[in-house]
Amino acid sequence: MTDYVDAGEAVPHKTLSAVKGNAPQVSNVDYERIKNATSEPHNWITYYGSYDAQRHSRLDQINKDTVKRLTPAWVFQAGSTGLHSGSSTYSFEASPLVVDGVMFISGPEGKVWAIDGKTGEELWRYKHASPYDVSLCCGNVNRGVAVGHGKVYMYTLNAHLIALDAETGDLVWDVTNGDVRAGESGSVAPLIVKDKVIVGSAGGEFGVRGHLDAFDAQTGERQWRCYTVPKPGEPGSETWPDDGEAWQRGGANCWITPSYDPELELLFQGTGNPAPDFDGGVREGDNLYTDSTVAIDVNTGEIRWHYQFTPHDLWDYDSTMENVLFDAPDGRKLLAHADKNGYFFVLDRTNGELVRVFPFVDRITWGDISPDGKVTPKVYPDEEGVPVHFWPGPAGGKEWTHMAYSPNTGLIYVPVQEVGATATRRRREFKESIPYWGAGVAVDLDDHYGFVAAIDPLTGEEKWRWRNEYPMCASTLTTAGGLVFQGTPTGEFVALDEQTGEKLWSFQCGSGHHSSPMSYSVDGRQYIAVPTGWGGWIEGFLPGLLGAAAGDALFVFALPEN
Amino acid sequence: MTATDSDRESELHAAGLDGQNRTALGRLLGTGGIGYAEEGSDGVMRATVRIPEDQLIFEPSILVFPHGGEIELTLINDDKNTHCAVLPNNGDPKIIWMVNHSKGTARLNLGGPGTYYYGSTTGNDEGRGLTAALVFGGEVPDSAKLDRPPQPRP
Repeated sequence: MTDYVDAGEAVPHKTLSAVKGNAPQVSNVDYERIKNATSEPHNWITYYGSYDAQRHSRLDQINKDTVKRLTPAWVFQAGSTGLHSGSSTYSFEASPLVVDGVMFISGPEGKVWAIDGKTGEELWRYKHASPYDVSLCCGNVNRGVAVGHGKVYMYTLNAHLIALDAETGDLVWDVTNGDVRAGESGSVAPLIVKDKVIVGSAGGEFGVRGHLDAFDAQTGERQWRCYTVPKPGEPGSETWPDDGEAWQRGGANCWITPSYDPELELLFQGTGNPAPDFDGGVREGDNLYTDSTVAIDVNTGEIRWHYQFTPHDLWDYDSTMENVLFDAPDGRKLLAHADKNGYFFVLDRTNGELVRVFPFVDRITWGDISPDGKVTPKVYPDEEGVPVHFWPGPAGGKEWTHMAYSPNTGLIYVPVQEVGATATRRRREFKESIPYWGAGVAVDLDDHYGFVAAIDPLTGEEKWRWRNEYPMCASTLTTAGGLVFQGTPTGEFVALDEQTGEKLWSFQCGSGHHSSPMSYSVDGRQYIAVPTGWGGWIEGFLPGLLGAAAGDALFVFALPEN
Repeated sequence: MTATDSDRESELHAAGLDGQNRTALGRLLGTGGIGYAEEGSDGVMRATVRIPEDQLIFEPSILVFPHGGEIELTLINDDKNTHCAVLPNNGDPKIIWMVNHSKGTARLNLGGPGTYYYGSTTGNDEGRGLTAALVFGGEVPDSAKLDRPPQPRP
């Protein structure tokens, strides 16, 4: 036998592609710029577009008059190779960021790209490898990156916070921040505040103890950790059993990006469900700080105030979704939150005081909340083995996907899901890394619908709704062009008139939407970008479309150049 | 590096699942041997993987590493057909093209604990049997663990 042929050394896959390997240097994004993000509407430099989470673009080239001519400018395909964690549950859930014409976006499977915002050319890519067997409650997803300090930050499926060089995509640092043996994972888009990068944990369905963390943006050193379930003796611990172990597995994870008020120096973080999700008998009490908005001092990580939307949750009603900051005409600093439990809350964000609460969905059977905030549970899984049906289902009247505020109308545009579910309590013992639900759950396969609701947060009035055959499972975007953009589960991307809800334009993207669109401009041309790709926790929010086509394409639209 | 035998091997053989074109068309994934990487004084964990003739399998098909970190695989194609390997790696997957009777290396960085799969991404080599596992043991650093007492595991 002859000597072996020299096969050489394995090379990075991307070297066998057209990827350039570097992006043009962009101006440095720092705290001052993010505080004033709305003053540079050609960019979208932080997850929600601005710290207040309004998801509003001040660009108006695409408007009620011109939107009918909106057309694809380019499409980017994420693609997939080999076996990866969550091989069948991938979904393109991110919101792109754009700085000076360079788009930074994460996808499923630990991927991050820099893309030319004008042409769609792939400038660089990075793929973080996550184990095939990592625990993922809700799919192979990532909601976005943070850009700043010359770096791009991503929280990975296996709970590593990584920092990449913004020009090359090369790894700068990698910090392990979660315990994958305990069932922790990462999916949140990081937030840069001051010299910090803020990330929260995922894994509430596995009985972990939720936390929000701040890291030094330059070095990756952790500056503080705020647990969202108190230990015995800490404030809030009286809401857990005295002698039990429940607090150790209490949940309250922070898997959606907080909003932030620079004047108050407070992060407004939504927290997840308690664990086990549906079996309250092992965790008597209100179970703070689950299903809450907690206001956290960004400098110290201390909780300043909290408001709990669903005390002693028995329906999987996470409150992780965004807290939109806006000011009343009298200057009062407010916060709006549309909860999974079907109620819309307006709080005073200086102290957490309830200003207003009202339902924003049609069907609520789990219980009710009075105008003064008193919560009365009515229907819940209580007896072992007895099925209980309730609305909204565990994905909520609104899931994590975000609503948007328009300063032009003063309205908040909410993507609404009308889906019920049946839960049957099945008590189980806790074992680390094993799902810890305490029930069998089947979400309704039919009798569902959705709509975009235009809600006045100052009165609770629904001004209009745009109804859809299927629930709304994607974020809304408002623009100064008087438009509300919304993707549907069946692939249509639509533009609505912000005043009337009339559909002015639509485009079929070929796969359902479960992401957050945004807008930017390059050389005076406005673009609307939306990742598409039906996936993630479909069995939770719309199992009636579990068989719909998957996808992982980023569509970018613009008006014709001529 | 060592391989282990077990009753399971006999059962797979009796069922015709441990070879090509027996009961099924290809070889059932994960039915090859188990090997263990050796950690060098430089901290790099090393192991050798072969593609035996006409078996369409990476052997051992399960490689166990004590913890995550830097690894170096020697890959040998003893088959009389051409294959490749696309391997997971932090930063980007790595690919090596392996013509008949060739030998090469792959240097990878992977976090642990957890399991990763790699395969020969040509034709349907992956489905015929050329999909194998890299398994990392260990725990995450103490700084990444939750502040709570030790919990029961399955």
